[in-house]
Amino acid sequence: MRLKILVAILLMGSGLIFLPLENSVRAERTRLKYGGARVTIQLREAIGQNLAIALLAGMRGIVADFLWINGHGYWEKKEWLRQYRNIEIVAALQPQAVMFWDLGQWHMAWNIGYGVLSDPKNRTKAEGIKREHEWHEKAREFIARGIENIPNRYDLYFTMGWLYYEKLSKDCDKPPCQEAFCKAAEYFGTAASFSNAPEFVARFYPRALEKCGQTQAAYEEWKRLWFLDHTKVAQSWSIIEREIRQLENELQIPENQRLFPPPLPQP
Amino acid sequence: MTEAVATPSASPAPAGSGEREHERVGFSLSRVGVIGVNTLTEAVRQKVFIFLLLVGLVFIGSAIFFSQYSLGEQEQLKVIKDTCLGVISVVSTLIAIVGTAQLLPSEVENRTIYTILAKPVRRFEFLLGKFYGSALLLVLSMAAMCLMFGAVLWIKEQSMIRELSQTYLGETHDATEEANKQIQQVKITVLDVNLVKAVLTDLVKAILVVSITLLVSTFSTSLVFNVAVPFMIYVAGMLRGTAVEMWGSHRLAMAVLAIVPDFGLFSLADDINLGNPVPWAHVDQVIVYGLARAAVIVVTAHLIFSRREI
Repeated sequence: MRLKILVAILLMGSGLIFLPLENSVRAERTRLKYGGARVTIQLREAIGQNLAIALLAGMRGIVADFLWINGHGYWEKKEWLRQYRNIEIVAALQPQAVMFWDLGQWHMAWNIGYGVLSDPKNRTKAEGIKREHEWHEKAREFIARGIENIPNRYDLYFTMGWLYYEKLSKDCDKPPCQEAFCKAAEYFGTAASFSNAPEFVARFYPRALEKCGQTQAAYEEWKRLWFLDHTKVAQSWSIIEREIRQLENELQIPENQRLFPPPLPQP
Repeated sequence: MTEAVATPSASPAPAGSGEREHERVGFSLSRVGVIGVNTLTEAVRQKVFIFLLLVGLVFIGSAIFFSQYSLGEQEQLKVIKDTCLGVISVVSTLIAIVGTAQLLPSEVENRTIYTILAKPVRRFEFLLGKFYGSALLLVLSMAAMCLMFGAVLWIKEQSMIRELSQTYLGETHDATEEANKQIQQVKITVLDVNLVKAVLTDLVKAILVVSITLLVSTFSTSLVFNVAVPFMIYVAGMLRGTAVEMWGSHRLAMAVLAIVPDFGLFSLADDINLGNPVPWAHVDQVIVYGLARAAVIVVTAHLIFSRREI
């Protein structure tokens, strides 16, 4: 009996001694945003018993991958709502996965959006456009949640910018669309401010500024890019030169103030 | 020792008397090492170990085929890494439980424990040797699985590089430069050194499972019990984080929960695979936690084993 008490005291006592260390590791995990959605009854019902057990066994990544691959089936069968629900679950399971937010919004805005636009069940063309816009909005809301989860990487800012640039500005060339391009410029600008963002991200910022109507700001941004150290920064300098020349013509900048004055006429 | 037990006039030797006899013999790490290597040799010959390891290797190898079901290269890489790390984690836990559960019962059943303890070997050395042997078994099996994992990643890397080279074949100088950049990026993404952190924490987790299984097998002779109980403790440990969130304010509940190690803390593989920053300081904390818990459990196992009547 004494031994049993001793063993119980040893196990419980040591467990209590380890509590501060456990709490510190747990707090660090929360700070670093590790893991994802907790396994609740609702989640278990959504993913099924077997996958819930796998989740509890610590195989969160495998479960998310399995569900994601499964989602391709819904896409092929044009089961949009099931696909949408699947995307939401996967993103909740691994909210730190850029891939799920990025591809999830792509499915919503591009694939599902086009799917509902061209759905033969639509009574009018307007109904198709309305349904497409609803999916664009869902994609926007989805990617905004992605940014909340992963604010420290350029990827989702660029994705959001691209969504505004390509989809939320669609089918109109009047002021509301300009707003979409301005929002796109805002997100491209944020994405470009990350040091590890690819070179093309930096070029999208002035492009969106231009479409937003801020031609002068776009010109200044192209010039800023041009003055970066060509030997250290990897960029497509020929593209930047072309854009600057074009804007210098468009803004009718005096020749003596131009970065690239037009060539002298041949005698 | 033999004389003490064989003295006809003496009353039956109380449990643990042999241990007291051996207290005169100093603790020897080399004896622990010998027992550990013997344990490893025996364990490697077990069919169940070979079966589990083969299953693990086959699953890891087939990850490259699972990944074909996903679209992009990044998706495929994620599927491969998730599957391989998941299999390593599960198989190592199973090997830890099954490989350790029968160590002590089989020694008692085959009566080999009498010959060993009749020699100047302390019970603690014997127990520590068994623990060491199981840990060696884990290192060996995880090394084999990691090699397979590395091979799978290498094959995937080569196929991605081949595809990129073919895409940019005969293109302009700029395009070739772009291809080289992308190839470099593939190499960096595929062979992520942070994966070592995931494997290390999995190893420590499995070592902790070994210590729990060893503790259970010191007071139970049933193989089923020795396998089932550590497995249940493992599942409870995986749920501990959730339980702490729910009952964190109840002191009694927390005291009871404190007995079970929090196995959820060892799950770093997913976050490493997602490219989340996992600092070494955090990994070190997890490793220290796991090893310290294992040490306490081995000492507790010794307390029981040293008083056990054999």
